[in-house]
Amino acid sequence: MGYLDGFKITFGKLFEERVTTEYPKEKREKPDRFHGRHVLNRYEDGMEKCIGCELCAGVCPAKCIYVRGADNPEEAPVSPGERYGFVYEINYLRCIHCDLCVEACPTEAITESKLFEFSFDNRSDAIYTKDELVVDDQGLPQKQPWELWHVGDDLKTSGWMRATASSGNPAYENRVGWSGELGYGVREPERGQQFDESEPQNLDGKDDQD
Amino acid sequence: MPDSQPNAVSVTINGTQIEAEAGELVIAAADRNGVHIPRFCYHERMSSVGMCRMCLVEVDTGRGPMLQPSCMISVTDGMIVDTESDQTKRAQEGILEFLLINHPLDCPVCDKGGECPLQDQTVAYGPGESRFIEEKRHYEKPIPISDLVHLDRERCILCDRCTRFADEVAGDPLIQFTERGNETQVLTFPNEPFSSYFSGNTVQICPVGALTAAPYRFKARPWDLEQVESTCTTCSVGCRVAVQSSRNELVRYLGVDIDPVNHGWLCDKGRFDFEAIKSPNRLETPLIRDPNDKDQLIETTWGAALAASADAIKEARSGKIGVIGGSRLTNEDAYAWAKLAGSVIGTNNVDAQLGDGLPGKVVLGLPGATIDEACSADTVLVIGPDLKEELPILHLRLRGAAKKKKVKVVEITPLQTGVSSYAHRSIVCRSGEAAKTLKSLLTSDDELSQEIRSGSVVVILGRSSLAESALPAIEVASVITEELPKAKFLVALRRGNVRGAIDMGLSPGLLPGRVPLENPNDEIKKIWAKVPTVEGLDTAGMLRAAADGQLDVLILVGADPLVDFPDQDLANRGLRGAKFVVAIDNFPTLSVANADVVLPATAYGEKGGTTTNIEGRVSRLAQLVTSPSAARDDWMIASELAWRLGGDLKFSSMEEIWSEIEQVAPSHNGITLEKIWADETRDGILITETSIQLAIEPSGETPVVDGYGLRLISGRKLYDAGTQTSNCASLSALAQDAELRVNPTELERLGIQDGSEVTIISTKATGVAIAIADESIPRGTAVLPFNNPGIRANLFINSELPVTDIRIETR
Ligand code: SF4
Ligand code: SF4
Ligand code: SF4
Ligand code: SF4
Ligand code: FES
Repeated sequence: MGYLDGFKITFGKLFEERVTTEYPKEKREKPDRFHGRHVLNRYEDGMEKCIGCELCAGVCPAKCIYVRGADNPEEAPVSPGERYGFVYEINYLRCIHCDLCVEACPTEAITESKLFEFSFDNRSDAIYTKDELVVDDQGLPQKQPWELWHVGDDLKTSGWMRATASSGNPAYENRVGWSGELGYGVREPERGQQFDESEPQNLDGKDDQD
Repeated sequence: MPDSQPNAVSVTINGTQIEAEAGELVIAAADRNGVHIPRFCYHERMSSVGMCRMCLVEVDTGRGPMLQPSCMISVTDGMIVDTESDQTKRAQEGILEFLLINHPLDCPVCDKGGECPLQDQTVAYGPGESRFIEEKRHYEKPIPISDLVHLDRERCILCDRCTRFADEVAGDPLIQFTERGNETQVLTFPNEPFSSYFSGNTVQICPVGALTAAPYRFKARPWDLEQVESTCTTCSVGCRVAVQSSRNELVRYLGVDIDPVNHGWLCDKGRFDFEAIKSPNRLETPLIRDPNDKDQLIETTWGAALAASADAIKEARSGKIGVIGGSRLTNEDAYAWAKLAGSVIGTNNVDAQLGDGLPGKVVLGLPGATIDEACSADTVLVIGPDLKEELPILHLRLRGAAKKKKVKVVEITPLQTGVSSYAHRSIVCRSGEAAKTLKSLLTSDDELSQEIRSGSVVVILGRSSLAESALPAIEVASVITEELPKAKFLVALRRGNVRGAIDMGLSPGLLPGRVPLENPNDEIKKIWAKVPTVEGLDTAGMLRAAADGQLDVLILVGADPLVDFPDQDLANRGLRGAKFVVAIDNFPTLSVANADVVLPATAYGEKGGTTTNIEGRVSRLAQLVTSPSAARDDWMIASELAWRLGGDLKFSSMEEIWSEIEQVAPSHNGITLEKIWADETRDGILITETSIQLAIEPSGETPVVDGYGLRLISGRKLYDAGTQTSNCASLSALAQDAELRVNPTELERLGIQDGSEVTIISTKATGVAIAIADESIPRGTAVLPFNNPGIRANLFINSELPVTDIRIETR
């Protein structure tokens, strides 16, 4: 009978709940921290958040970001302050979606969406330019022809948190800042990691944001 | 430092006993022993001021430990220094917290971010957290304090480095602290920009991003820069630089501190002229004269351009070929061209100078001095061009030495120069008559004459005016060799690697390695297919021959005689008279437009090799970026041409050329590639050996001016209409329009209004310029910059005469 033993699993599985989906017609819910392609955010007044500081490019382990800064034109500034991101490109053939760029950005200009399904037919499409990355007037990502979107996909942004402290203490959260943003207003930040529940969350005793 | 010196003291730093020199600053002694004390205001090339207090350390001189600024106190015997004590740390944290109170933390948009001493030291020594939550002090964000430098007063930490530099080193005290207390700020004087030739240095030494350079503003961040160390070839001082690029584009040069040459400083022209290299005006493809329209140059292939050039050379009558230029080249390039001319074409008609220097034999025959020797001699005689305009860092070194009373600078000049401000004596003589003045000074019983005779003398010798021929300068040399036989010379030639090109034999009568043509060495006879025996023509000679139809092919290697040769009329006739002109250049210059074939060459930063400065110091050039076009290295062009002419230069890389130079050139024997690339050779390798015997020919007479004449004096300005400068967006705007400066009494005599247009008349040409009355100009002379926008002085100059006189008339 031994050779039939293997079929036990097969038959057993027939009556279990199905885990596969009819992808791409149907998509699964993505985890909170899922990292998709980036967007470049704007402030509520429409100004771009990116100041062209190249910190994201500097930190990127895949070296896939190319940023150039330039003087903000005085009459029609692109971003608040002296400098704005004049060139911004991300090469999605290289990006590993580690989100270090998001961590590095001092202005929350770059965040990730949950969009990841691309079907490029040439390499230059894979290099997203600033025009493609920057959010539209509603604050939502702009659909590119090669991206697979279902209704509502664009509303899901990646979980963002900044729970880092210079001391590197993971339980340290301090004040989470999130400046007002086109389409989202002031977004609720994700809280830090839960450690031992019995431990106090903020070791330095400082209050969280509220 | 010195163990057995009498003034050595012994100090304990962090528990380790070290030897120091009495009088040495604690911070310097610590540096020398590998102990880093944080600092903002201390700079080893400037005096200490103790402004920032970042360098506080605990010092015990027997009275118990006390906090002391280590940049202000000197070591004493038995001193105990602790740079890591709790007290020291507390002080460092306190100072940093204090400095950051009003600091804007613009780091993400600050050009200094990523290489900022304030950032770095805050991370290393700071308290880690700020207690300051109040509103910070605000100023208008960057204000331009000159065309090249922006000042952001919010970021300034008042370290006094920039202001000290401007006053102490540059001698242009145009920025100062103003206001008091919390309002203290660096500012320029009203309506007076910080227009110093050295302003870029303040950007480099500012320990924060308060001073930023307009040409680098937002161009890159430190983490995307690539860097190599190289040598500046903008002028022939040969300052050490760090060349930085981002994405294959040059974006910044920084001065590198080497003792014998630049002490870390650069002039602004050298610092910012990288813009020319990425200029859209660069020549990108070979050009050839359109067969259908002789007025047009059209694009062609390298093959066709080289073939046409080779054919023209082959067809030329023997000996009727000339090569002008070479100071833009590396030593290797220059050698390749010297070999092409000598060994393949068989001519000695080569000249790296454009009739604006001194004969190669004089340059190599005079006993040479180094910059250091000049800065430590008892007397420095400056008889030549305005060093501030032409060799700015030499001027800075000399000024520093004069201010520290290390040398006595005596200047003989036809008009006030940048040197006059610190000269012990500035003797104004008539243009062309320096030798006479010098002779009468030295033979007089003037106290100065005794002082000059009794000590060591270095002569900085060059052409005081390009309206003079080389003769007056040669006369000076002959007076000196006669009167002061022990004096040494620093020959003030201006162009990049002109000295290297002469060393490599690109000068009539010379062979590579400072060897006279009459007496070739054995190696060259072995390695070269043939060695020319007849002394060739210099640039003036070649142009004259070409004008007379006596030269068939003229090859311009990075030379623009129409603009740079002192006599434009002759240059013009020469270029037109030559049957075929080949121009190898980076830019479409005026002369290039007159060529039959144009070959684009790679530029600075696009090729490696070596260069030689005015002292004869060979130092490395490094390649960092690739050429944006089909341009080729000059030595490759020489090799290709040689091959097409049926010769073979027998090298296929820069390294191979150097190895051949090392063999062929006696002065360069033993300087192997390994030596050149060794770390210790950062300072360069000084070559003093020469086989040239100086024979100064007796001079002619300086003609007398006619009663109505004004003697023309013409020198170059740092920012002029030269190719390099005019292709730099930031620098070209700084070139002032050419004006004719004349003493007011002369204008009065001629009935000319100050600021009005006048007609300039010389034997060569008539032209129009604005006449400006200027008290500082001696009577009987008129000063016109050599090559500034508007009108060029070389229109009027007659290179056949020792001096040029002009007349001016109202219009
Ligand atoms: S997610 Fe990571 S790999 Fe992708 S761009 Fe950002 S830093 Fe680079
Ligand atoms: S996205 Fe953020 S980190 Fe990147 S350049 Fe813009 S502001 Fe700087
Ligand atoms: S000067 Fe330094 S600390 Fe200040 S904003 Fe610039 S980078 Fe930051
Ligand atoms: S501008 Fe820079 S160099 Fe000048 S005082 Fe301020 S911090 Fe110092
Ligand atoms: S470095 Fe000593 S006080 Fe500034």
